[in-house]
Amino acid sequence: MLKLVDLTKVYRTEEVETTALNQVNIHIKQGEFVAIMGPSGCGKSSLLNIVGMLDNPSSGQYWFGDEDVAGYGERKLADIRKKNIGFIFQSFNLIDELTVFENVELALLYHDIPARERKERVKEALAKVNIAHRESHLPQQLSGGQQQRVAIARAVVSRPRMLLADEPTGNLDSANGEEVMNMLTELNGEGTTIVMVTHSMPHAQYARRIINLFDGQVVAENLRAA
Amino acid sequence: MFANYLTVALRMLVKHKLYSAITVAGLALGLAAAILIGLFVHNELTYDRDVTDVDRIQQVLVTATLPGRAPEDGASLPMPVGPALKQAFPQVADVARVAAQTSSLKRDETLFSEPAAVADASFFRLFDWPFLAGARATALDDPNSVVLTRKTAAKYFGDADPLGRTLLVDGHLLRVTGVVRDLPPNTQFAFALLLPMDSPANQLPDYLREHWGGLIAMTFLKLKPGADADAIQAGLPAFGAAIPPIRSNTGEVHLGDVFKFFLVPLTEAHLHPVRNAMVEGTSPLEIGIFTAVAVLVLAIACINFMNLATARASLRAREVALRKVVGASRGQIMVQFLGESILLTTLSLILAVALVEMLLPSFTTFLGKPSLAFDYLRDGRVLGCLAALVLVVGGVGGLYPAVFLSAFQPGPVLKGNSGGSGAGGRLRVVLVVLQFAISISLMVATGVVYGQLAYAQGRALGFNKEDVVILTDLYGPDVRKAETLRDALRQDPRIVAASLAQSYPGSGTENNTGVHRPGATVDDGVVLRQDAVDFDYFAALGVPLLAGRVFDRRSAADTLSPADPAHPEKMRHGGLILNRAAVQRLGYPTPEAAVGQLLILPSNLGSAGIEMTVVGVVEDFHQASVHTAVAPQIFFVAPSPSDGQLLIRVKAGEMPGALDLIDRTWRQMMPDRPVPRVFLDAQLQSVYEREIKTGQLFAAFSGLAIVIAALGLFGLASFTAERRTKEIGLRKVLGAGVTDIVRLLVWQFSKPVLVANLIAWPIAWVAMRHWLDGFADRVSLNPLLFVASGLSALMVAWATVGLHAARVAATKPVVALRYE
Repeated sequence: MLKLVDLTKVYRTEEVETTALNQVNIHIKQGEFVAIMGPSGCGKSSLLNIVGMLDNPSSGQYWFGDEDVAGYGERKLADIRKKNIGFIFQSFNLIDELTVFENVELALLYHDIPARERKERVKEALAKVNIAHRESHLPQQLSGGQQQRVAIARAVVSRPRMLLADEPTGNLDSANGEEVMNMLTELNGEGTTIVMVTHSMPHAQYARRIINLFDGQVVAENLRAA
Repeated sequence: MFANYLTVALRMLVKHKLYSAITVAGLALGLAAAILIGLFVHNELTYDRDVTDVDRIQQVLVTATLPGRAPEDGASLPMPVGPALKQAFPQVADVARVAAQTSSLKRDETLFSEPAAVADASFFRLFDWPFLAGARATALDDPNSVVLTRKTAAKYFGDADPLGRTLLVDGHLLRVTGVVRDLPPNTQFAFALLLPMDSPANQLPDYLREHWGGLIAMTFLKLKPGADADAIQAGLPAFGAAIPPIRSNTGEVHLGDVFKFFLVPLTEAHLHPVRNAMVEGTSPLEIGIFTAVAVLVLAIACINFMNLATARASLRAREVALRKVVGASRGQIMVQFLGESILLTTLSLILAVALVEMLLPSFTTFLGKPSLAFDYLRDGRVLGCLAALVLVVGGVGGLYPAVFLSAFQPGPVLKGNSGGSGAGGRLRVVLVVLQFAISISLMVATGVVYGQLAYAQGRALGFNKEDVVILTDLYGPDVRKAETLRDALRQDPRIVAASLAQSYPGSGTENNTGVHRPGATVDDGVVLRQDAVDFDYFAALGVPLLAGRVFDRRSAADTLSPADPAHPEKMRHGGLILNRAAVQRLGYPTPEAAVGQLLILPSNLGSAGIEMTVVGVVEDFHQASVHTAVAPQIFFVAPSPSDGQLLIRVKAGEMPGALDLIDRTWRQMMPDRPVPRVFLDAQLQSVYEREIKTGQLFAAFSGLAIVIAALGLFGLASFTAERRTKEIGLRKVLGAGVTDIVRLLVWQFSKPVLVANLIAWPIAWVAMRHWLDGFADRVSLNPLLFVASGLSALMVAWATVGLHAARVAATKPVVALRYE
């Protein structure tokens, strides 16, 4: 599904140069569930941003399917992204001004989908994460767990091939965290590729493979028996 | 998609009420100002468009250059010019002349003064305004006919049909032959009734009707279809040169040298301000200034929008990032934000239209154009202009925020780092500087305009305009009665002085004469303005004496000796008073040196001329506008003037009683004529009316600019105070006091205002220098005015920012630090 070859990301400011990713090589297959772990500042987020096509690498190759997207411009990336990738964030990132329904619908607005079909798919996604009864609430009226479920619904409503989750359980208590992990597992079971950054070892155990990053480099890859 | 944009936009508006209110209010004020100025400018630019074949009508104007005087453009031409042009140029299909006069009309037993005009019968062929009654083609054919405007007809005949009824005009019984609809707000004609040129009520003295030397009538040409105005223009110098020379007391005058005629298309005539126009013209400069003010005020409002939108960008950062994550392209995001800005502008426009509706009556009254309409419901073009305004303002105001906001990188933003909320800060400061530079410049400009106006109407005049009543336009027998009236008034202790004079300052009429020293010839003479006055003239105006003495009624030699028809070869004698400019023009070293000198006023009718002795010199004072330099001039006492004005100075505080006395005495002596009473200061006010209004409009709009800029600063300050809460909490933990914090925030916003001064001052200085150059007599630019404008802007900034600063500074640091 995707292959990173000698991928490097360097951040430059006027005074400092920071290497966030250093010659990273990773291969993720279609349908995999991969967890990325590592201490703060090891480059997890940079990696996820590049994989999610929110950012370009400084050098190296990023093969997405049979295209090297490393040097693509924003417009092209946006196009590939919206067709293939869903995102889940630690801080949920719901838009305060929009209701639950509208937040989820947002993910379909840029897809040329007729309103009626949008409505069906949003309802379907909300039902899947058990939050349909709250569809006209605003995000502030929901608990953290509920908000993250809305965020998952938003991530999957466009039926992406790959789901990127950046510490999806980081802001949740353990019960809600478990619930989110179960949902991700379920989605993976349906065929969605999942790449998840996490600090939590127990949650990383849901993945089939754990990649450890340290100082911008892959230091270990553990493949777990399914 | 659009529904989603709209939802977000409206909810953002409602959620952030303060910012929405500031942005919308600022834009609404700016748009309202722009609409009002737009109405004004559009009106000024569309004068006299409503006649058939308007592009074939040309107005003939004249540049008159009197020796020793600056050239001056005028609308009034010698009476023979029009017919002569028609004869000289075959391209001319028709010509019409019109001259203004004031007529008294009688209704029942009451007399009214009305603005009237005498016109050629061809007038309504050129200006084919719709007639409500009567036949336009023949309305002015009969000498005893009169055409009324609708309003005049209603005033004198009520609901009755006026056609064929008679009306007493200046003592002549005339028959109403037509009623024309009221003159539109954008026409350069101003009259309540129109009389044929050969009407018995035409007040023009007979000799002027064929005289090439008097500037009398506005003259219009209608060209034949396809005729080229430039060809006529090219022939005008030769036309001028062919005018037969006239004999005057400065010798033989070739009018082609003095008068340069030129054509201006009727549609542009209003934009060519000239002397003696019925309706004062507007200079393109003035229109440019007002257009610029509208653009500047709008710019300030747009800047508010940009600044608040980008300052608060962090609030939208997450939304933008998310939209990008789910696939929005940058273009789509930009469209969304531009749309929001256009939505906001539309809301502001609705408010602005309401504001304009509220202000329009006072605005039109102020402009003196009560029929000026803002017809946005029925006139598609107005609606189109408003839509264009929204697109331009919304586009300009929204473009930068759209570019700025759509540039957010989703990665960092979604990770929780707010992502560049501090970015754009420098540009914001630049924009605030720009706003205040504009505001300060406008304030300085307002100050200079007002200073100059006060100067022009006060000290610079050179006489005391207060407490002077004038009985105007006295002719023939009226003058004799006015002399009796004057002598009666002089007995009353409430009257300081009463004097007959040929003209009064601001009246616009003037006479000139050649003057030379004894022994010199006519050709060595100079042309000076002359005014026949009366003994108490200088006392009535309060003009200071520089040397010698004023006229004395006990000195018989002061009065010009009457002409003796039996002995035209006998030299006449009289006393003369010069003004300071005349002393210089005649070449005397000092005013004292001029006293006692003899001067010759050559006569033009073969008689011997007049030998005058200078008895005194008075200080210069402005007879015309302060725009022009004081003309060198002479004053003498005429034995029995044929026309004049009675100037009456009333003791301060005694005006009501004195007016009563004047009116009562007048009615006893002249029951057939309404009291032609005006106040000198009011008359002068009308000379400066345009400038006074310009000044007031300027003041209003620059005040508005400041208010809008302050609104923006208020929003920005409240935002900054919010954003810096954490920093301020930390500072307080580290020991900063409330005053330190207030100083910190106030200083942050003082800097841009101070920098704005540095930009505004030189610009304002250059611009106002240029404006003042249009006045012969002007104030100097006072640096204090610049400093004061800067300080006022600073005060406004402090007042808006200080409140927030104090509130934030007083918050407990714990609260601040807990703030996320």
